[in-house]
Amino acid sequence: MTISISLNGVTLDYAIYSVRAQSLRNAVLNMAVGGKLMKGSNDVTVVRALNNVSFTLREGDRLGLVGHNGSGKTSMLKVLAGVYEPTGGRIRVDGRVSSMISMSIGLDHDASGIQNIRNLAMMQQIPKKEIERRLPEIISFSELGAYIHMPFKTYSAGMMARLTFSVATALNADILIMDEWISAGDAEFQQKAAARMASLVDEAKIVVIASHDMSLIKRVCNKVMVMEGGQATFFGSTEEWIRLTT
Amino acid sequence: MDIARDFAAATQDLGAGARLAPLWWRVGLEQTVARYRRTLLGPFWLASSTLATAFSLAIVFGSIFGASLAQSFPFIMAGVVAWSVTGGMLGESANTFMLGAGIMQVQKLPLSFHAFLQVNRMMINFLHQVVAFWAVMALLRMFPLPHWQLILSLPLAAATALLFSIPVGMLATRYRDINYMIGFISQALFMLTPVFWRKGQMSPKLHWIADLNPFAHLLEIVRQPLLGHPAALTDWLASLGFFVVAGVVAVLSLTLYRRRVVFWL
Repeated sequence: MTISISLNGVTLDYAIYSVRAQSLRNAVLNMAVGGKLMKGSNDVTVVRALNNVSFTLREGDRLGLVGHNGSGKTSMLKVLAGVYEPTGGRIRVDGRVSSMISMSIGLDHDASGIQNIRNLAMMQQIPKKEIERRLPEIISFSELGAYIHMPFKTYSAGMMARLTFSVATALNADILIMDEWISAGDAEFQQKAAARMASLVDEAKIVVIASHDMSLIKRVCNKVMVMEGGQATFFGSTEEWIRLTT
Repeated sequence: MDIARDFAAATQDLGAGARLAPLWWRVGLEQTVARYRRTLLGPFWLASSTLATAFSLAIVFGSIFGASLAQSFPFIMAGVVAWSVTGGMLGESANTFMLGAGIMQVQKLPLSFHAFLQVNRMMINFLHQVVAFWAVMALLRMFPLPHWQLILSLPLAAATALLFSIPVGMLATRYRDINYMIGFISQALFMLTPVFWRKGQMSPKLHWIADLNPFAHLLEIVRQPLLGHPAALTDWLASLGFFVVAGVVAVLSLTLYRRRVVFWL
């Protein structure tokens, strides 16, 4: 199977519910007065998070998503990860996806680092034996040393990021989707992380990463997509993007 | 056209959830372990609370109804244990999707996965309670050999709980009031269902309370085999009917709202 992602006119609309809209009283009241009372009040806001986005990624592609806060980067990542289903258009993803959209989800703060590695791997449906086989490698990459046996809640933000990054990139996913938290951790670990990203690409995988860190994107990615108000205003090679912006 | 596609997606969602059995089995075990980490008795704390409830109810209601403790205790204890996989699930089901909110935001999983996970946790707890039930019964030299019907009634109860937790969980996620409402409804149901009293003890005018309550029938098909007796045919038929209705409502709500749940979190 060739690993690829293709999007054709993907549009994502979603409703954001205010506290009032999540109350049953208002829903009943609305029904009783034929929906007239609450109409026009903006309790339920429909947001077009993605507007007609199309692109194709093939094996070896590393796509950098750039754009201001709220431009649709995280929505894009969530659509790629399959968390959100597009309202319009088509998406086709071939390959096993591993997403690192948030680093704190799925972690048990009372459990040890090592147990958390097992839990994260479990959620990726890695067989138990395989997890145990890979544990030493993951632990040594995270450089957490003896801390791996300490409860996760004692970790600093950088240590947490290192642990999650080590697990997510060790699990041989075909497609890796990352939000910008990857930039946590000290400079030395950053270099190691960048080296591992490069090796992932050598193994012919697809990486999609959203970041505000332009130097990271220039270093890691071969393609760039610029997002603005849910639309892709630029999609092309990193060289072209650098030429356009400088 | 769209409805047909959404309907197909809804049934596929249930199938995909079932195929993830290895995952929800492991996650359910790990969550149970995590919940009771650093405790001595672990899930047996829940079993102890069941035991305490059954004892208190047996003492009070046994004496009110003039039954000996030896008569009322097994009946009530089996009732409370059976309640945990039937009506007790109603209270739990409000949290089906809210408990999985974190993982739903970052990982693609069928919606039914969260319901399967919920039912798996319920069955793990049930197992502990049944072990406690048998242990106490053996200690009292009243151990009832379970009736073979249990092999059929437990999966039926689990499947029914799975199905109704989907629409209830959806409603509770969309409207946050429902969560509180379900809390007192399930408590009221516990009182109104013959868990610690018998239909025969009620005035015949009020028999409809037990007859029309689907949880009463579902409870009986679990409790009677636990006590070593076969359950009545009417209880079986009513439970099957409940299962079918829950299934229809579950598929309907998945068809209509499956995609939106993630935005309601």
